[in-house]
Order: sequence, then C-alpha cells, then structure tokens
Amino acid sequence: MLSNIDSLMHGFGVALSGYHIMLMMGGVLLGILVGVLPGLGAPNGVTLLLPLTFGMDPVSAIILLTSLYWGALFGGSTTSILFNIPGEPSSVATTFDGYPMARQGRATEALTCAFLSAGFGALVGVIVITLLSTAVANFALRFGPPEYFAVYLLAFASFIAFGGGTPLKTIISLCLGFGLGMVGIDTVSGNMRLTFDFDQLVRGISFLVVVIGLFGLGELLLTIEEGPEFKGASGRIDPREMFRTMGRMPRYWLAMLRGSAVGVWMGITPGGPTAASFMSYGIARRVSRNRANFGKGEPEGVIAPETADHSAGTAAMLPMLSLGIPGSATAAVMLGGLMIWGLNPGPMLFIEQHDFVWGMIASMYLGNVVGVVLVLATVPLFAAMLSISFSIIGPIIVTVCMVGAYTVASSPFDLWIALVFGAVGYAMKKLDYPLAPLILAMVIGDKAEDAFRQSMLSSNGSLSIFWSNWLVGAITTLAILFLLWPLTMLLRRPAQTTDPDAATHAP
Amino acid sequence: MTRYHLELVFAAVVFLVGAIGVYGATALDFGWGADGPQAGFFPFRVGLILMAASALVMAQAVASRGSLRRIPVTDHEGMKRVLGFGLPIIAMVALAQWTGLYVAMALYLFFTICFRGKRPWHVALGVALGVSIATFLIFEIWFQVPLLKGPLEIMLGLG
Repeated sequence: MLSNIDSLMHGFGVALSGYHIMLMMGGVLLGILVGVLPGLGAPNGVTLLLPLTFGMDPVSAIILLTSLYWGALFGGSTTSILFNIPGEPSSVATTFDGYPMARQGRATEALTCAFLSAGFGALVGVIVITLLSTAVANFALRFGPPEYFAVYLLAFASFIAFGGGTPLKTIISLCLGFGLGMVGIDTVSGNMRLTFDFDQLVRGISFLVVVIGLFGLGELLLTIEEGPEFKGASGRIDPREMFRTMGRMPRYWLAMLRGSAVGVWMGITPGGPTAASFMSYGIARRVSRNRANFGKGEPEGVIAPETADHSAGTAAMLPMLSLGIPGSATAAVMLGGLMIWGLNPGPMLFIEQHDFVWGMIASMYLGNVVGVVLVLATVPLFAAMLSISFSIIGPIIVTVCMVGAYTVASSPFDLWIALVFGAVGYAMKKLDYPLAPLILAMVIGDKAEDAFRQSMLSSNGSLSIFWSNWLVGAITTLAILFLLWPLTMLLRRPAQTTDPDAATHAP
Repeated sequence: MTRYHLELVFAAVVFLVGAIGVYGATALDFGWGADGPQAGFFPFRVGLILMAASALVMAQAVASRGSLRRIPVTDHEGMKRVLGFGLPIIAMVALAQWTGLYVAMALYLFFTICFRGKRPWHVALGVALGVSIATFLIFEIWFQVPLLKGPLEIMLGLG
C-alpha cells in the first residue's frame, strides 16, 4: 500500500502540467454541457469525444475523457435539481428531494449539497482505487484464460442478479449485446460470422455507434415525446448561502459515508451508478433520522444518491483498469478507448504502463476538485442555456450525434446503424429493458468467448477446467449461483416479475 | 398504442433477431469439436436464448395483459412529436449518403427549425450555416478528422 502512495506521487508528476490542467477544465466544462443537455449523457459524451483523441497520447486522452465524465455527472445533477429533468439516468434519484428544495427557493443549498457530496463520493472512490488497484492487479496477474472467463461470467451474472429490472429483460439485453459483438471476423478461427455477405458488416458493428443510437437518439426521442417545457427554478447561486451550506456538510457525515459505501460496492461489481443512487436513496429513506422529510426537500435525500452516484462512477474504474472489466456503460466505452489507443486493459497495464495508470488515478483527484469548483462557478450559465428553446437545441444535438457516429469509422453505413439503435433504445427504455448490459456484453463478450475457447483448447474440451483450482472454482460457482438467483425469486413470486412498477429505470 | 402491444412487438423483433442469429450460425460449424466450441457454437446458442427469452416475455405479457393494456406507451400528441422529430432524421441520413454530412445537416437544421420549430427563417438559416461551418472548422481543420463529403464540397474544392 505504501508503494501505491509513491506511485500516486509519481502520477501527480505526470498529470500536473499546464496542458493537462487545461484538458481537465475543458473536459469538465464539455462534460457539464453534455450532462445538462437532454439526450447527451456521460456514455455518449465520452463516445462522441473518443474519435478525436486517437491522435493524442493516452495519458492526455484519458484525462480528457475522465474529466468529461465527472463534468457530465455534475451536469446531470444540476438539471435534476433545477428543472426536475435528470440529465443522466443516474441522477433520477436526485430529483426526488433536489427539485422540491429548489422550488422552495433553496436551490443554492441543494446544488451545494449535491456537488460537495458528489465530490466526497468521488474522493472515496479514488482513495479505494489508490489503495486496492495494485493488489487486485497483482492478484489478477496469476489469472489464466479460465480465471478470466470465470470473472467475465461473474460480471454478466451479477447484472442478471442485481442489475435491477426483470432478469428476463436483462438476459435479452445481454444476449443482444453478445450477438452484435459477434458480427464480423471470429478472432479464434478467422471465419466470418453473422455477416450474411454484407460487406459493411465484415468489420463488425461498432459499439460506439450503438451507444450513440441507444443513449443519444433514443434519449432525445423520449425527451421530445414528453414535450419538454423547462419550467426551471432559478439557478442563481448565493455565495453566502453556499458557504453556510458548506459549513453544515460535516453534519451529514453518516449519510455521506453510507452513500459512498453503497456506491463503491455497486461500482466495483457491475451494478453501475444508476442502481447505486437508487439503492442509496432507498436505504437513506428507510434509516435516516429525517426520514419523514424525504420527498419534501430533505438535504439528506440529495446527499445520499449523489455520493453513491459519484463513488460508483469512480469505483467503476477499478475493475476496468485492473481486470479489464468495466463497471458501468461509460467505463465500457473508456475500456474500448484504451484498446483503440493500443493499451491492453488488465493487470499488465500496471506493469507496462505505470505512467498511464498512475497519471490517470492522480488526474481523478485533480479532476474532481477542478470539477466541483468549476461547476459551482458556472451553474447559472449552464442553467441559462436551457432557456434556449428545445426546437433549436434538439436538432443540433441530433447533428452532433450523427457526426459522432460517422467519425467512429468514417462509414456512411454507420449513420443507419445509429438510427436503428435510436429506435431500439426508445423502445427498450419504454419497456424497462436495461441498456448498460447490452453495451457491456458488446465490449467484453468477445473477450469472454476468447477466454472460454482458449480454456477449452488447453483442457481438450473439458469443462472441469473451471473447477481446476480453488480460485477459479469459487468464482465460477459464485457466478452460477448468481445466475440461479432470479430463478429462485421467480419461483417464489411469479406475478411480481411482470409488474412494471417493480422495474427500476436502469440505463 | 399500449404497453401490451409494444411489449409484444419488441419481443417479436427480438425473436426474429434470434432466429436470424441461429440461421447465420448454421452456416458455420456450430458444434463442439475436439478443441472445444467452434465458430458458430456461441452465435447459435445466443440466438436460441434470445428466441426463448423473447417467447417468455411474450407469454408474461399475455398473462398480465389486463394491467399492461391500461398503461399507454404514449398518447396521440406524444406519438406525433416523436414521429415529427424522428422522420426528418431518417431523411437527413438518407440524404447524407450522397450529398455528404455537411449539406444534409445544414438542410435538416434549416427545415426542422424553420417548419417544426416555427422559428423565423433567418434564425433557422443562421443556426444551419453556423453549426455546419463550426463542425467543418472543428473536425476538418482543428482535429483533421474528415467527414463525409458530397458533390458540393468537391465542387468547392474542399473534398
């Protein structure tokens, strides 16, 4: 652990340069913009920016993308509080108490609470990463293909068991992702798979284009359907009230710690920020001393989901860096970015790319400080932007999505793919199909299949290799238990699964 | 359209996708060879799972059709807004295939803002040209990422 502190100091040396601080500020501001605008969220903000980073060096690129992510998380909370419109799925829970507070004229208090607790949550997440990442990576160095497959299986299984939403729909979402990821050349045998003799499908379907469709266009269609009227509370920040709220923050230490713990757990296991914020809000509403006030403008009702949201978003980077398994949709996109930059996510990253890993971790500390300061300073500006009519902003967002879809691979055909997934995303959202599993399966489905087939090559086709030592056996068994978990629930109360109210709106 | 119908339609689409996957996998060796699963093994099974899971979703929807029928997916107004927003995007993508992205997005912005947004034509024109030119400067000049171009750009000597 002590050597990690040394590495972190080294990382600060890498990350602290004028150029990087500029990138951080640019990234955070772009992120707030993306988070505030409906239809553009963290996953597709990162996706849209990714093709522009191909020419940058990986450290600068990841600093830009992670900063954008922090900004998007902050921006999402801003619209939740001021307009009752969650800019991000993960800030839905923030509307429950944030918007009532803003309507009571306590917008400054709500925003300050949200940003500071978000910063606190992120800080806890980064500290966990700093302390644990090398241990996890060293542990993972001993992994062979069977262990990797078992861990992938565990990731997929935990989505089905704990993802929120009905297990059946999570399975469909996962399998659609697997299927889409399989299109193209099979990496093991070199055969063409599922291309049906279409030239455009030979290089596969890019998950980046799918993200733009599902999260960008789909989200826009949902927004337009509701007939967006931004009846916002005033976004003016009163500096004195802000400092008073800062002074009161330590009083909520228990809520913040609880939220962070929920967030870190949900971020490392692939539950993701959305599930984390809902769970944290739910727990707080049940155990808080002020629980009678929840839903009517209780600061703790803002603090609980915000800390969980940000600590989950941050902690999701731990499995992404050290195992190559993303804990959220945005982390999945970043993982894809690492591969495109020529880095190999996983434990070897910590040995081969020391500068990159620790530069990134150090930048997470800095990026969040920059984020909290910038977001407090620019909230009125961004809130004013929402007063521009959606009839102008909406079409502009569409063109941004289309340009983004084209830049992924310079293929006109990708525009059609983005369009199709826009419609699919709209329907899936309407029917409470979770979207994150689809992206996760597209990004790591391939690697899971490769790991499985490599294991089979070394065991001559015997499945017993997944129980060949205590480690892989334990992970595989746990994964299978997770897979069976919803089945037992299903048997216990069959009527519950079709109740649409029971499904949470996970991305 | 009620939630019941959308559930059935979407599940049917998923079923079809699964069936296509199964069909595509049968063109490959989808068995389990001496060295483990072959290229078509997983596509075949993923297709089967999709078909089975979507059939189950349909069955569940039918079983609780009473309550699902009472949930509207969207009202008439909402549907009109979605189509009014979505159809021009389809037109833009179709147009972009031969005019390139810049021209298609300028026309799309102009017409949606002018007619659907009911803004004065000079505002629409300003946004359309402004966004297209800004996109050109950012992508072609600053980041040197070329976007899809058509006859107009070639004529202007920019392609």
